[in-house]
Amino acid sequence: MADPATTLLGKMLLDEITPVVMVLRTALVEESCRKNGVSLVQMLSPFCNFNNIDVPVRTASDQPYRLHKFKLRLFYESDIRQPNLEVAKEQLKQVIAQAGEQDLSELCSDPPQISNVVGRSESQILPSWFQFFNKELMHTVSFSDHEAFDHPVACLLVVSSKDEQPLNRFVDLFNSNKLPSLLNDGAMDPKLLKHYLLVHDNQDGSSEKAAKILTEMRSTFGPNDCQLLCINSSEDGQIEHQDNPWAPYKSDDSPSQHLGSFLNSDDLNEIKDVMQELSSKHTIPYMEQKIRMLNQQVSATRKGFRNQIKNLWWRKGKEETSDSLQGPMYTFSSIESQIRILGDYAFMLRDYELALSNYRLISTDYKLDKAWKRYAGVQEMMGLAYFMLDQSRKDAEYCMENAFSTYLKIGSSSQQNATRCGLWWVEMLKAGHQYKEAATVYFRICGEEPLHSAVMLEQASYCYLLSKPPMLHKYGFHLVLSGDRYKKCDQIKHAIRTYRSAVSVYKGTTWSHIKDHVHFHIGQWYAFLEMHDIAVAHMLEVLACSHQSKTTQELFLRDFLRVIQKTGKTFEVLKLQLPVVNISSLKVIFEDHRTYASPAAASVRESLWSSLEEDMTPSLSNARSNWLEVQSKLISKSYTESNICVAGEPVKVDIEFKNPLQIPISVSNITLICELSASSEEIKSDTNGSTTKRQSDDESKMVATTGEMSSGTSFFTLSEVDVSLGGGETILVQLTVTPKVEGTLKIVGVRWKLSDSVVGLYNFEPNLVKKKIAKGKRKGKSFPSNDLMFLVIKSLPKLEGFIHPLPERVYAGDLRHLVLELRNQSDFSVKNLKMKISNSRFLTVGNRDDLTKDFPAFLQKTNAEQSGADGNFSKMPQAMFSFPEDSSIQGETPLMWPLWLRAAVPGNISMYITIYYEIKDVSSIIKYRMLRMHYYVQVLPSLNVSFQISPCPSRLQHYLVRMDVENQTNSENFQIHQLSSVGQQWEISLLQPFDAIFPSPSLFAGQALSCFFMLKNCGKSTSSDKISSPLICSNVSLQGSADKLFDITSSPLADFHYCERLQHGVSQDDTSTVDFILISQPSKSDGSGISDPQHLFSHHACHCSTLSSSPITWLVDRPRAVHHNFNASFCEVNLRMTIYNSSYAAVFVRVNTFDSPSSSGQSSDATSLQSNVPSGNQTGWHEIPVLTDIKLTSQLPPNQLRKLPSLESVPPFIWSGSSATSLHLEPMSSAEIPMKVCVFSPGTYDLSNYALDWKLFPDNSREDEAETSQTSGTCPGYPFYLTVLQST
Amino acid sequence: MATTACFIIVSRNEIPIYEAEVGSAAKREDAAQLHQFILHAALDIVQDLAWTTSAMFLKAIDRFNDLVVSVYVTAGHTRFMLLHDSRNDDGIKSFFQEVHELYIKILLNPLYLPGSRITSSHFDTKVRALARKYL
Repeated sequence: MADPATTLLGKMLLDEITPVVMVLRTALVEESCRKNGVSLVQMLSPFCNFNNIDVPVRTASDQPYRLHKFKLRLFYESDIRQPNLEVAKEQLKQVIAQAGEQDLSELCSDPPQISNVVGRSESQILPSWFQFFNKELMHTVSFSDHEAFDHPVACLLVVSSKDEQPLNRFVDLFNSNKLPSLLNDGAMDPKLLKHYLLVHDNQDGSSEKAAKILTEMRSTFGPNDCQLLCINSSEDGQIEHQDNPWAPYKSDDSPSQHLGSFLNSDDLNEIKDVMQELSSKHTIPYMEQKIRMLNQQVSATRKGFRNQIKNLWWRKGKEETSDSLQGPMYTFSSIESQIRILGDYAFMLRDYELALSNYRLISTDYKLDKAWKRYAGVQEMMGLAYFMLDQSRKDAEYCMENAFSTYLKIGSSSQQNATRCGLWWVEMLKAGHQYKEAATVYFRICGEEPLHSAVMLEQASYCYLLSKPPMLHKYGFHLVLSGDRYKKCDQIKHAIRTYRSAVSVYKGTTWSHIKDHVHFHIGQWYAFLEMHDIAVAHMLEVLACSHQSKTTQELFLRDFLRVIQKTGKTFEVLKLQLPVVNISSLKVIFEDHRTYASPAAASVRESLWSSLEEDMTPSLSNARSNWLEVQSKLISKSYTESNICVAGEPVKVDIEFKNPLQIPISVSNITLICELSASSEEIKSDTNGSTTKRQSDDESKMVATTGEMSSGTSFFTLSEVDVSLGGGETILVQLTVTPKVEGTLKIVGVRWKLSDSVVGLYNFEPNLVKKKIAKGKRKGKSFPSNDLMFLVIKSLPKLEGFIHPLPERVYAGDLRHLVLELRNQSDFSVKNLKMKISNSRFLTVGNRDDLTKDFPAFLQKTNAEQSGADGNFSKMPQAMFSFPEDSSIQGETPLMWPLWLRAAVPGNISMYITIYYEIKDVSSIIKYRMLRMHYYVQVLPSLNVSFQISPCPSRLQHYLVRMDVENQTNSENFQIHQLSSVGQQWEISLLQPFDAIFPSPSLFAGQALSCFFMLKNCGKSTSSDKISSPLICSNVSLQGSADKLFDITSSPLADFHYCERLQHGVSQDDTSTVDFILISQPSKSDGSGISDPQHLFSHHACHCSTLSSSPITWLVDRPRAVHHNFNASFCEVNLRMTIYNSSYAAVFVRVNTFDSPSSSGQSSDATSLQSNVPSGNQTGWHEIPVLTDIKLTSQLPPNQLRKLPSLESVPPFIWSGSSATSLHLEPMSSAEIPMKVCVFSPGTYDLSNYALDWKLFPDNSREDEAETSQTSGTCPGYPFYLTVLQST
Repeated sequence: MATTACFIIVSRNEIPIYEAEVGSAAKREDAAQLHQFILHAALDIVQDLAWTTSAMFLKAIDRFNDLVVSVYVTAGHTRFMLLHDSRNDDGIKSFFQEVHELYIKILLNPLYLPGSRITSSHFDTKVRALARKYL
């Protein structure tokens, strides 16, 4: 450690703990001095500091030492008293306030970087007024009675030569009652060293009179103690001193006055001599003498073992009597005071050893006496003495700590002492580079007085900064604490200063509450100082405070808006945090050759569209030159990167705004920031192109910067959106920019106005890099990329399309008539319209004349003849629909075209429609455009229709059809209107009259229905022309009135039916399958059963197979009842079996008959199982003919039926004739086999005990089918009954 | 239960990743920021102390008026900081240890990026339950 005297504390002590000289003067002396603008003390003080003296000193020890520096402190007698605390406080406050004013300019600058602050030296960091403040603070406790170093050592009596009877005046001065209380109340020895000084003002005449008085004085007061001082030697008072010694005393009232202007160099030298003599010849020797005397006295009474014992005993005895907190009163004559004086004098003469030993001696005494204040004072001095001795730092600190805590213990009266002690302690620690500890001491110093503690905390914070390594967190925290206290004392500038430093610490912190606190308060304070710009900058930081409570958020926002209002101007803030812009939600929708009818269409993936448009566009590009090539010729290479948009058509930008707060905020005037520079071509053509260019630049810049919507002159128009965001709400805002001229459009960012006062800007640029990458990835498919550069081309016609009335929700099977409306707002006409629909099962194009027809009435057949359905049918395969050549759209008249919607299957159905059109004006870059429409329909299930077909056992080529209909809706009722079978060869008819099977006219919600039909294969159709053949159908009305049948062969129904057929796959065997179309109409909801004529439902069932598992069908033709006289002979009945081969292959058939019913039954079971397994859906079907046959034979009693199996022993009948007949059947041919059965008794017989074995001959042409289907099998006989009656 | 207690988890790069006021005292408006300030300031001391001991629990390392800062430093230098006004060293230690276990479970979550904010509500409820139990 360096020499303690050179440290700050050392210097401070050498400065502060020095002998005090009390100055007594007459009024005339003061008057003479005032001519120079200074008081007497002020005039003399600069010369009391002796830096270059050499005075030998000998204190208690015999070894003399030399003092090279010395100082005297001069005070008027009136100032030697304890300062008034209130006045002192006021004074301190002024010191601080003044300091605050000084660095006002600094407050406006940016806060310093924390990295710059760290590592600076102490003197650079600490504001200079701290030391001054600390000194002033220490002075508030000077002249205390418990310390001797502030007690005057000497008394300087000053009388002017103008005074009358100067000698008497000297005596009067000392005897007056104005002497300080310290002398009067016995706290110190009134016998002081007296020094007499006669002041002569040279302006008042020659010094002869003064010399005379001096001799008188010398004779009266002693020759050594009297001196003459002549001042004001300068006549004109124009002397200017270089490095004026009185500069610190310059008052603010008259700054122009030169201090000491009447004092010439002779005067100065004289003053110097006088003071030097006072110190070295009088004060120091006096003190030496006193020390020696006191030391002797102390040694006599207190040193040595005996004295100590005595002292202890004496104090013990005293203990009981006085127990006050202040301890006993010590007069100057008491031994304790004497020791203290001895210590202090020794300290002042820098004999620290002596001082320390005496302090030690006295401290125990005071402790025993419980004179805590004196004890603390002594401890304090011990600490300082230890420090100056540079011996034990630990001891020094211990003493200081002890003193400090003792002072604090005493209570508020000693708070100031504690502060001074603490400040010394801090300096001591600082001298030892223990900044961290110093900081804690500073922290302990700060008491209730907020202003002092503010300064102390600030000093503490600097200590943390200076400690190694710097403790920045603590630094920031203490700065904030200090700033809060400054604010409490209305020292806003100081508060800002501390917070500014704190901001640099907390810059970029994620400790949200800290950040908010610091920025909000500093912002508030700046606003208080009317420095609104900086205030706003800080307030902006706290706006997005989602973590704060609602009230705090309100407070922040309110204050912010108030500050903004005060500024009286609209702020533009880049990246305003309120509301939050969700940049990832940014989506740009623009239309080049692809146009969209609705936003929903724009959001559909591009790949979907391009696959849909695949064969629309290439046909064009093949026909003529590729439009891309044309474009690349026209557009310079740099433009090919950017997107194309059309003048007059808006570019839409979707972006999300999120309110992070819990309180609602209003955001208005949300617009895009765009730049549009007119295209170079235009400028070339223009004569004064350069000016246009510049103007356009200025224009765009103006728009970009100020955002004014000067739509009259601007090259583009912007849309404005106002939204109100509730707490935590996120709103998607669609903004548009509509360029008006050709050129390059760039979307720069978005701007908005928060609460009508702050304008927030957000530039999209930072994300541009990211987008570029993304764009590279999806190169090839030209998705509306987010690239924000657009090439604006000349305006083009644009079709707008609507479909109405498109329902959002329909029931399955619903057939509706829709109208597509296309409009072209521009003057140019378009041509070559083509349309493609993604889902032709749901949506088909109608004929133009459908528009005028009345749906669904026109579908109803008026006469039985088939009306021209052929044209439609042939049109169907092509998926692309070309509008007629003459259909051009221009201006107001829209193009209407009918569409048919049929909700084929339940579910959520997306329909994509794309319309291609060419622009007649070919000079443009874009030759054609596409209109994309996307519609979404929800289809609910309505009727579930299923058909099951089985061959009719009683007739060849006849089939029984069961139709199961179930109403799956919740509320709708349906009326089944008509069932049609499609196909030339099929004819359908009701099995029963319709009113027998339909008890109610409508099918209610949830109801199911089964009914039976007879299907007859009447015609022959060759498989070659089945597709192109017109749709021929046979209808059966389920409502009784045949004239109201709908013609399913006409346009929409037939078209949809074709689609359904395609959907279910084309059957290879057209002759054996049948399609059904069920037409129904919803009933009116009131349940009256009257169908709603506006709606038509069609349900299609395609490719219902009529085939059972075997290729053959047969029929046994027999008389139903035979009368025979069994008395004569047994009965012989001839039967005839007709076998039909319905397959395309030749079949070998063998008919086997069995005589035993049991064996036939078994084999029948076995074979039926065998035959039933492959065709699962036929399982239940064998029961049905039985049922129908039972109906037919219902005249027989049931018990007879049951009896039949019991006839076991003798078969009641036997097959006669050949037991097995084999034959070969050609495809699609039939053959007849005669059969005969012999019956022995009357009765009803089940003649089912026969079987047909069949085997397919493999056919070359149908090899594939032969592999998949069964090639052979056995069919059991049908149960058919023969009744033989006894004839009479 | 302590009347005032503020628990913060600070990641190794001094970002608070979890904050909870777990005291029973009525919440004051300015308390949150004071607590943050005190805990933030204590980071300096943690910095010094963490390397002087092998124990994870650093005990009470700092104080501000009557509020004490206790710190627990995990091996990964995540700091659990508790600001409290009660003197219950054992309870605090247990609290820290159990929270450490919870924190490790959070870390084991493959979807949790170490050093990011802990948003799990499950973690929050568990920590508050532990605070009720031990503090």
